[in-house]
Amino acid sequence: MTAPGLVLSGSARVDGAPLFGPVDFAAPAGRWTCLLGPSGVGKSTVLRLFAGLAGPVTLDGHAGASDGAPLAGRVALMAQQDLLLPWLDVLGNVLLGARLRGRRGDRAAARDILERVGLSAHAHKRPAALSGGQRQRAALARTLLEDRPVVLLDEPFSALDARTRAQMQDLSAALLARRTVLHVTHDPAEAARLGHHICLMAGDGIRPVPLSAEPPPRAFDAAATLSLQGALHRRLMQAA
Amino acid sequence: MSTMTDPAVTAATDLRDDEELRRARGRRINGIARWVLPIALLALTLFWWHWVVTVNQIPHYVLPGPMLVAQTLVEDFATLAGSWWITIQVTFMALFLAVTVGVGLAILFNQSRLVEMSFFPYAVVLQVTPIIAIAPLIFIYVVDINLGLFTIDAQLVGLLICAWIVAFFPILSNTTLGLNSADHNLRDLFSIYGATRWQKLRYLQLPSALPYFLGGLRIAGGLSLIGAVVAEFVAGTGGVGSGLAFRILESSYRLQIPRMFAALFLIVLTGVAIYLAITWLTHVLLHKWHESAIKRET
Repeated sequence: MTAPGLVLSGSARVDGAPLFGPVDFAAPAGRWTCLLGPSGVGKSTVLRLFAGLAGPVTLDGHAGASDGAPLAGRVALMAQQDLLLPWLDVLGNVLLGARLRGRRGDRAAARDILERVGLSAHAHKRPAALSGGQRQRAALARTLLEDRPVVLLDEPFSALDARTRAQMQDLSAALLARRTVLHVTHDPAEAARLGHHICLMAGDGIRPVPLSAEPPPRAFDAAATLSLQGALHRRLMQAA
Repeated sequence: MSTMTDPAVTAATDLRDDEELRRARGRRINGIARWVLPIALLALTLFWWHWVVTVNQIPHYVLPGPMLVAQTLVEDFATLAGSWWITIQVTFMALFLAVTVGVGLAILFNQSRLVEMSFFPYAVVLQVTPIIAIAPLIFIYVVDINLGLFTIDAQLVGLLICAWIVAFFPILSNTTLGLNSADHNLRDLFSIYGATRWQKLRYLQLPSALPYFLGGLRIAGGLSLIGAVVAEFVAGTGGVGSGLAFRILESSYRLQIPRMFAALFLIVLTGVAIYLAITWLTHVLLHKWHESAIKRET
């Protein structure tokens, strides 16, 4: 699996009204890129353009993989909602992609991945019987089993409590390593912990933030992480 | 362990135990009340009925007492049971048709907006047409249907059409609503997975619609019984024999009012049984995942 990078250039509008842009944005291959910005600035639209879910949005420009091949079939999505089917148990949800491709799915591999995200004991529970953190673990397990080179994250940890969020961030950083991850978030602390690259999105475009810190995942309480978080927060305030 | 002797922790544990006990007691009382209250109220109502009839010396051809109705039910059960069985058969055949056609049309409407726009008004027209007004016409129009292996009697065809018209709309409208209310985030997920239209229907929309369908089924179950009884009232007796509605008509002509009440009782009993069966089915299908059926502590 060689992960392609992501590139986006141009401007987007919905029903004729400008949404964002013009922007020039790239997420390098095999790296974790955080797209940080306030709500309503069009971060999720960027994600949806890569996912091929633009809906009513028109892009005057180009969004796709750096290798030029189409992205369809190479993308996985994790969102703030866990996107689990409530009528299937955890195992059924993890195997959903395989089922839709008309294969029975590798149950052994699925169990192995559930083991890695710490959900082995809950394989036969419905999502309603799980906590928020456990549901996101199930969503992560499904993303891993799909084994797509590009993973799009739309604020997947923002509904979790601080402790569970930190655990999920570490787990995701470890398990999604070497994939191209585009992580949309409005939380400077999260970007400071996870991004190889951090880009700030504001009304006037997308700009990379220079980083000198150690590679992620960075300790949530390290002085360097906290100062980076502060710097990001300041830029966020100034950008508005 | 030090925590075992910590008075604050012990007090907190006791408090939780008290809370748990109170909750358990509440649950137990709830469980008993669920059965005892309606039964007690029923007994009270029956006694009051009996008392009114006895004290006012109301003649049995005006209002029979509950004892007389029960006695008639037992004595005439042989006759009534035959009619009961016919009404039950018509009811369930009509409900089956309502489910098949209702769900089938809902899927068709969901797949094609043009079909929905064209045909939904007709569904509404059928729904608001007073069945009692058009039933006599329906019984004039229908003919025997020859299916090769067996023939469906025209009388039965008329009964089924009437009961079906009454029962199918809640299934159609609820299932249509359900198919359209699949979470749009999940639709996006299915798009990313490259799911086909059929797969979206099979794995996302139909399960999403299930709670809505069951809500419609609960209404349609009662309506198909009412439809069957109303149709029998119009049709009278014929090729399929006489259902309970015919027994009610016959008893009222002969002033056998206790028998009329006995037949009414059987109809009500059937309706309640259908309702309970569908409630049970709903619980079995939804209790593990749907918000409406999950039991929560708070």
